Amino acid sequence: MLAAGEPGSNSLAIFGAVFGCGMAIIGASIGIGFIGGKAAEAIARQPQIGGRILTAMIIAAALIEGLTFFALIICFLAIFWMKG
Amino acid sequence: MLMVTVAAVILLMIVPLGAGKKRLRPKGLQNLIESICVFLREEVARPALGESTDQFISFVWTIFFFILTLNLLGMVPTESAYYLITGRENHFGGAAATNIWITGALAMVTFILTHAAGIKRYGLLKYLSHLAPKVPLPILPLIYVLEIVSALVRPFALAIRLFANILAGHIILATFIGLIVIFKSWGVAVGSVAAIVAMSFLELLVAFIQTYIFTLLSTLFISLAIEAEHV
Repeated sequence: MLAAGEPGSNSLAIFGAVFGCGMAIIGASIGIGFIGGKAAEAIARQPQIGGRILTAMIIAAALIEGLTFFALIICFLAIFWMKG
Repeated sequence: MLMVTVAAVILLMIVPLGAGKKRLRPKGLQNLIESICVFLREEVARPALGESTDQFISFVWTIFFFILTLNLLGMVPTESAYYLITGRENHFGGAAATNIWITGALAMVTFILTHAAGIKRYGLLKYLSHLAPKVPLPILPLIYVLEIVSALVRPFALAIRLFANILAGHIILATFIGLIVIFKSWGVAVGSVAAIVAMSFLELLVAFIQTYIFTLLSTLFISLAIEAEHV
């Protein structure tokens, strides 16, 4: 095992990738938590359109998750599919 | 390839059974398929597409049922069942959406359809000039580049969203099963099986939600291409 930062070792890349993955999760959870909170507030104001608000919330959450998985795939790239 | 063929064969056998007779009050399988189709046509396609709903509705229905069948077939553990019955290692069943090429192919079909529909309606040059709204001339090249980049990134986002959601679910299941293999104790097995059951429920929910999101976004992209909103 080579030390981090030496040419020929990818331990720094793995560290960067895992750290980036954690930061992506922070962004996604803040975003989706915000949306969930606003949706709950909106349903509390007007319970009769609860179904439409739920649909909008699910759609927004899935879109945010899509972007998060984008970042996750880039992290996978750095860990598994980089040379050396 | 195998699962895609199996899904296509299953759909080709089951959907015509449900769509055969025209009944005034559909029941059973026909009711199920028709209610999903009516929901997709009224709630997803008609608000976005308007008058061209009937032109693109067969694509919307096909995409929805195909991806739904692929995702639901991925939850059936045919690989383990075959191993339990015959004792041979195999790779017979799995979720087809965990293959980036399959989701990429579906996203590419959407991409080609949206731009072909736009070009067919407006002609190539007029469609390209529709991509940018009316902005002052100095920033028009920048807005144009941004629109082109976003039009090129959209199929990648579609493909990776479906791929990563289904793959993440299956990786979590494999991790929980791997915990049993590592620890080799009954307590861990009981907890792990409970966690696997819970995660399977979540994965079923994700399967439905992701097919709905894929279908909805495809419809939205088609509607963006064929309506003259930036005129």
